[in-house]
Formats: sequence, C-alpha cells, structure tokens
Amino acid sequence: MKQVPAEYYQLMEQLQAVDFVLVELTLYLDTHNDDLEAINQFNHYAKERKRLKKAFESQFGPLLQFGNSYSSYPWNWDDTPWPWQV
Amino acid sequence: MNTHFKTFHPYVSPFDPCPPILEKAYSTPPNLYMGFQPPNLEQFTPLEALRAGTLWKAFYDPWFSPLEPGKGGLPQ
Repeated sequence: MKQVPAEYYQLMEQLQAVDFVLVELTLYLDTHNDDLEAINQFNHYAKERKRLKKAFESQFGPLLQFGNSYSSYPWNWDDTPWPWQV
Repeated sequence: MNTHFKTFHPYVSPFDPCPPILEKAYSTPPNLYMGFQPPNLEQFTPLEALRAGTLWKAFYDPWFSPLEPGKGGLPQ
C-alpha cells in the first residue's frame, strides 16, 4: 500500500497556515481598507500561497478541480490518498 | 476588567436534586474589550496563528472549560 511521505504533511500544514493568515487578513481588511501594510502582507501571502500550491501539486497531485489545478498524464484527480484518508 | 474568565455564584435551592455547582464561570475573550481593532497589532507567525485561532496576539484566548484541563491551542 502507498504511504504518504512526511513532506506531504509539512507542505499541507504550511498551506493551511498561509490560508488561515489570508482569512484573518481578509476579515481585517474588510473593516480597515486603507491599511497599506496589511494589504502588502496580504499580497505577500497570496504569492506565498501560489508558490506552496505549485510545490504541493507538483508532488502530490491537484488540490482543486474544474480548471483551478493542472492535471498530469494520466488523469490523476481520482488518485488516492483522498482528503479523508490522510 | 480584562480576564479570560469571570465567575458568578448562582442561587442554590435547598431542594436541588443534584450536588450544586457553587461557582460558575463564563468566558470573556479579549475582543470584548478591544472596541475597533487598531492597526499594526503584534502578530503570531502563520504556524502559531493556525494553532492559536487568531493572527493577532492581542486576541489570543486559550479557550477551554474551567472544569477541564486545556487541550490544544499554543503550547504553554
């Protein structure tokens, strides 16, 4: 049986941490829309998220469907592990 | 007063069928005392924020029942 390497969890945790920062900054900026420093931080983490998404998907397959992630050949959307199996 | 918990002492009926809880606690997280959030508050790192449940240190509330030991959150 295929085992998930430790790096999968490290990358996933980083991705979750960056996602959480983006959620917090989004809520903050909804009420502080002229805070330039926070907007710079938001854009920094948006870029960081793209980098992490690319790093994760290049190793472990697509995170999102319907055109939001690329597929390799053969089609690997339905490859295990599925989210509830990790 | 800014505390994570406040307590009150409910009335205890002499006919209470259960052992009474003499002191009850309720949560008063820091955001209650903040009003409008000022800019440039000190932040957690992203990995800490994920466990703290907030990006800003001023809002961190280690929420757990006063009757049970804390689980999760940031390491003490």
